[in-house]
Formats: sequence, C-alpha cells, structure tokens
Amino acid sequence: MPTIIACFKWVVDEAYIRRGSSGELDFSSVDYKISDYDRNAIEEAVQLKETLGGSAIAVTVGAPAASRGVKDALSRGTDQAWFAADDTFGHLDSSQTAAILAEIIRARIGQYDLIVCGEGSGDLYAQQVGPRLAENLGIPCISFVQKVTIDENRLIADRKIEEGIEVIASPLPALVTVLPDINIPRIPGVKDTLMAGKKPAVTIKKDELQPIGEVLLQTIGLAASRLERDCEKFGTDDAEIARFVGSMRKKGVIG
Amino acid sequence: MAGVWIFAENHDRILELLNIGRQMAMKMETRVCALISHKPERAEEYIRRGADEVLVLPPLAGNQPLDAYIPVIAEESKKADPDIILISATSRGKDLAARIAARLNTGLCSGCMDLKFDEASKTLIMERLAYGGAAVQKVTCTTRPVMATIPPKTFEPALPAEGRQGHIRELSAPAPSAVQVLEIKLKERGTKDITEAKVVVSVGRGIDKKEDIDTVRQLAEALGGEIACTRPISEELHWLPEELCIGLSGVQVKPDLYLGVGVSGQVQHVTGIRKAKVIAAVNKDENAPIFKVADFGIVGDLYDVVPKLIAELKK
Repeated sequence: MPTIIACFKWVVDEAYIRRGSSGELDFSSVDYKISDYDRNAIEEAVQLKETLGGSAIAVTVGAPAASRGVKDALSRGTDQAWFAADDTFGHLDSSQTAAILAEIIRARIGQYDLIVCGEGSGDLYAQQVGPRLAENLGIPCISFVQKVTIDENRLIADRKIEEGIEVIASPLPALVTVLPDINIPRIPGVKDTLMAGKKPAVTIKKDELQPIGEVLLQTIGLAASRLERDCEKFGTDDAEIARFVGSMRKKGVIG
Repeated sequence: MAGVWIFAENHDRILELLNIGRQMAMKMETRVCALISHKPERAEEYIRRGADEVLVLPPLAGNQPLDAYIPVIAEESKKADPDIILISATSRGKDLAARIAARLNTGLCSGCMDLKFDEASKTLIMERLAYGGAAVQKVTCTTRPVMATIPPKTFEPALPAEGRQGHIRELSAPAPSAVQVLEIKLKERGTKDITEAKVVVSVGRGIDKKEDIDTVRQLAEALGGEIACTRPISEELHWLPEELCIGLSGVQVKPDLYLGVGVSGQVQHVTGIRKAKVIAAVNKDENAPIFKVADFGIVGDLYDVVPKLIAELKK
C-alpha cells in the first residue's frame, strides 16, 4: 500500500495585501493560509490514500507560525506531518526549500511512492520547488497534472500542455505537481479538526538539518504592481448607458 | 564559450526568445546560441534571425517526453558555461527550466516579464509578478548561468537580417527517459483563441445560472468580441471551457477592450487583463475590486445593464 507525501506552503493570503500610499506593499492586516494550489495537492494525496490504502504524509518548511498550517493539513485528512520550522524559513529560495524537503523525505520519511506538490505557491508562484525537489531526490517529475492514477507499480498522469493533454507513464517513486482542476479540496469539519490534534506531527529545528545552501535568486525590489486606470463610474439609466458606450467609442476600442 | 542561450519547444516561441536574446547579447557584447529540438532544417533561418550558433538536439522517439533533453542541455551548459539561459515558459518549458536550474545549482526567474542588463553592476535585473499579480518582484541571480523563463508572447518575434552567419552543431542523442508519453490528446478545434481577440467580454460569479451566459454572449457579439470567464466559472462550475479562463493560472489577454460582467476583480484574474488597452466593468457591488482597475465602470445589476448595453450598441 502506497505512502503518499503532500508538500505545502503556509502563505500570506494575497486578498489582504493593500497598496500603501507610496506604492509599497502593506502587509499589516494580512492573514495566512495553506497556499490554494497546495490544498489540491493535499486533497489528491488523501483521495489516493482513501482509494488505495496506505498513508498520506504532509510536509512543510516555514516560520514557526506555520504550525497552524500543519494542523490544517492534518485536519484535511493527512495521517502525519513533518514541519521544518525556523524564523528564517519564512522567506527561502526555491532551491533551499527543495533541499530541506528532500532531506526530510530522504532521511526522516525514507520509503515513499509518490510526492504531490501544488503547481506553484500562492505567494511567489515560482513553480520551482516541485521540479527541484524531484531532481534533488533523483526521481521523475511530471508537472501540471490534471489526473493521477496508480496502476500496479506505475503512475499514469494526464498532464496539461498547450496543445492538449499529454498522457504520461512513469515508474514509482515519482513527483507530480497538480493543477487546481484536479479535485475540489474538502472543507474540514469540527470532528476533523479535533482528530488532527491527536495525529503525529514532528517539528524539526534548523540545527537538526544539514547547513542551508546559498540564496540563488536575490529579491532586490518588491512593489505594488501599478494599474493606472481612469476609474470613471457610470449609472444605469439610458443616458448613462449611452455615455458609457460613447466613452469606449471615444477611446477607439469599439466600432 | 559564454553567451546567451535560448531554448523553446516550437518555432514561434524560438523567434520571441531570439529577439530578447539578441537584445541582451548586444548589450553584453556576447553571442546568441539557440538550442533547437524542432525542425533542424530551420537552423539557417534562426541564424538570419539572430543566432550566432545553433545547437541541434537530435529528435526524440515518439514515446519520449521533452524532459529527455534535460541531461543533455545541463551537461552542455556545464561545458560551455553560458552567461544566460532563457527558456520559453510553456508547460513543458517551465518544468524543464526548473530541473536544469536544479542540476546546475543556479537561480531561475520564473515568468520573467522584463529583463535589463545593468551596465554598472554587470548584472541582469529581472522582473516578475508575485502575490497573484498584486506585486512586481525584481530579482537578480547570484550564480551562473542566470536563468529565466519567458511567458509566450512577451516579446515580438525576431526579424531576419541579411548577411548574418553562424555555426550549426549537432548535440549527442539523449539517453531514453524512464518516463514515457503514452498518448497526446489534442485539444478540440473550435475553441476560440481569446489571446488574439480585440474585444473580450468576461463573465464572473455575478451570473446566477449557466443559461444566462447567452445574454452576455449576445453582448460580446454586439461588441464584435469573444466571451471569456473567471476561474470559478470554468473550474468550479464548468459552465465554460477552461481555455476561456483568464488569470494567472489561465490565459493572459491583451485586447483593445476588456469588459467584465459580474466579475469581482480578484487579483489573480486581474493579472490576466493587465495589458488590455481599456478595462470596463459591470458589477452591482460598488466596492468590488474590479472598479479600482477599470477605466469605465457601471455600478448596477448586470441583468438590468446588459440588455440596455446591447440595445445601445445596436442603435
């Protein structure tokens, strides 16, 4: 029976980011969440486990506050969790996150059949941790997957490409990154949340890990994206509708 | 040999990367090298359009995925030590780029929208979107080669020039990958390509039922445009095909006019319409975020407004 690992990231909920007066990003009223795409990854791991038996394991790397995410991942149906926690783990390079995940999976979890990641994170959306993790572990990677089946000792995945769907067969263990349309993540109930508290969760500190590698991609600026628009409002009576259509004609964008 | 390397899986994307690759190479006083797996007979054309060298990857067997090239490209890069590798951000390209970056232990700027060579520091400054499009992140890569994936259609195709010369070299065949392509199911023809439309009318969660899309479709027709949608409409409700879904994880459009009907304006959707010349919206909630990014907004019930707009346009 397979062991399926779901990786997730605890991220800022981008809906709460405000634009400051001088174009800076205002994070003062933000809340955090499991990255939306990673909820699909967790759901897929749990659904595969429910169909095939075995176990679903959640793994994350983050700041200590991400322990809320660990509990959330357990309440979404995973059986156990591993959490590499440190104050400096909130803003890691994709390569560093992938290296830490690889170490936990190789040294702590050991035997596994499939790793499921989201297609990208909800904050930086670099879409690199999954493929980099697969390379670190030396296993096949199939990204942007819409459907996963485990058929004897191999994986069949429908992968979305520009021309349509590429159906891929891969030996196990393998890693897939999944698209949001692969499933609808469950909403945990009260009972799930209570049960989550009883499931095993291991927190690993920075000094228990191999030294963290260098930052490869340095952020030198982060500013609110500008969409300078006219922001003119119109009413709904006939004169206003005519003025609205007239404004678009004046801009030359409709005939 | 240093230089700017480009790799894309098809002809149009190769031409776009040749354009930006040539621009960078001129500023950095270096060469452009195109890696191609697609139609080697076009190597001469790529030289005319900006490549100084074309490295031809041998064709793959029918059941081999594009990832089979990863070891060949990574090994060739270790030997030649390019300054920059640009890869087109198609699905397969994004995957291949991240895995090559891992093998070369170097940084990769995903979804790079702009890149500038800073003369003073001799570094490449790259821009990308973050936080669902709410922010622009500027990055530099501290290792060699600098890698970036460039979204399709970010740059215009390179134009040919007379009298250009270059080398063509064939690379060794890759070892077979453990992963196999069983089948490629091509997309059904007939779905409109909304990235080319002059007018795009997008429906959002403001519509109550599937049948109501017809009214919005009539509005799109009256405007001479195509219909599109937000993610919940295609992915949760399946009322429209996913090819029509605009946003960060969907399609990015650049029409003359974008009109959102019952679209709230979540940042992921707005990211897909940034390049529209004019943004207009109809929404009954005057505080909907779409109005902050729209040129023209009607605050009103779409079921009242849409028929009035159709009537006005038909006058």
